[in-house]
Amino acid sequence: MPTSPVDFDYEAALLACAAGEPAALQQLYEQEGARLLGVVMRIVRDRALAEDIVHDACVSIWTRAASFNPALGSARGWIYSVTRNLALNAVRDASREITVDDDTATVLDARASLEAWQDMADAFAWQASAGRIGTCLERLEPVRRNCILHAYVDGLSHSEIARRLEAPLGTVKAWIKRSLAALRECLS
Amino acid sequence: MSPAPRGAIPPEIHELAGEYVLGTLPAAARREVEARLENEAALRAAVLAWEERLLPLAGLAEPLSPSPRLWQRIERSLNARPRAITPRGSAWWRGWSSLRLWRSLAAGGFATAAILAAVLTGRLIDPPPATRFMVVLVAPDDRAPGWVVQASSPQRVELIPLATVEVPADKTLQFWTKADDWKGPVSLGLVTPGRSLSVPLDALPALQPNQLFELTLEPRGGSPIGKPTGPVRFIGRAVKVM
Repeated sequence: MPTSPVDFDYEAALLACAAGEPAALQQLYEQEGARLLGVVMRIVRDRALAEDIVHDACVSIWTRAASFNPALGSARGWIYSVTRNLALNAVRDASREITVDDDTATVLDARASLEAWQDMADAFAWQASAGRIGTCLERLEPVRRNCILHAYVDGLSHSEIARRLEAPLGTVKAWIKRSLAALRECLS
Repeated sequence: MSPAPRGAIPPEIHELAGEYVLGTLPAAARREVEARLENEAALRAAVLAWEERLLPLAGLAEPLSPSPRLWQRIERSLNARPRAITPRGSAWWRGWSSLRLWRSLAAGGFATAAILAAVLTGRLIDPPPATRFMVVLVAPDDRAPGWVVQASSPQRVELIPLATVEVPADKTLQFWTKADDWKGPVSLGLVTPGRSLSVPLDALPALQPNQLFELTLEPRGGSPIGKPTGPVRFIGRAVKVM
């Protein structure tokens, strides 16, 4: 059974991986494997591909453990970054994204829909997210919050979010840009 | 590599890093950021900050139990790649406080010692039949083996030098041990570089598997406070020898 992330020593596990101890990677996998697979699955939406990516992530964690620098960030954060980046690269590389011109997109009437967006319901139980980011998300309008969460949790691109929310691409880009700035300020 | 003083990161770097970590950048832009991360300290710092900020959101994805085959696959992949004992990259734990090192090692185990002990028992040292435990003390930065600790009985250990060690004239090496459930390390005495040392453990509990041993650099005459005060020069864990 995985223990709470608070009780597990991720840094010690990476250190032991760097020292070549396979048991440490196994402990890390038992601790975090299901959560990592959950994160990857949301992004790639294909079970076999998700398991492939978790496999690659574990091998990458094992071989790169010595390059992890605890002075620069948390060990758990590093593990998630390695894994999420593999998942995001997989969906971005595979996507045949049509780049819609921003201006053309904004010509679509945003104004009429704006009221609807303001009433938009939350697509995520974001209140459950740990720490200060919950408080900062609360300060965003639901539609902007959904943009951030569809991007981070579902791995959606700008245009996929625009389609999901039925909002103009340029508007979505602007929302995300401003929401990131607001989150950074709120969390600083 | 340019330094990135805190607060000096331009807003557009924060913005690019935020979109990168959020995942909204198209493939080509992602690759470009990844290439720039190698050389741009400011971008790297901004990306790390975003990764930490957004990490709690990963908890919004429902965990999903991997199939039993997945770990087997990972294990096969690990076994298929040759593993160097010396890590690549920088020696990031140099400069750690001794306490931090103790804590991490105590929690994480220390396989290098086990691997080297296996190699050494097979090749270099012919242990007497009574030997039950062995520790290879390695340098924390490059993991170079410096000393071997052999326990011919649970109540006595021999510290045997494997390599020459330079010690500044006003310093001395001090030998310490700590089992997992002890509060702190206990001194086993001062060490002369290049010389073996035999230490009775009568006053201590019997040796345990995983018991930690280390040599720290202390002021001449040894640590004035009975606890390690200087940098760890060599460190390792006791492993049972078959």
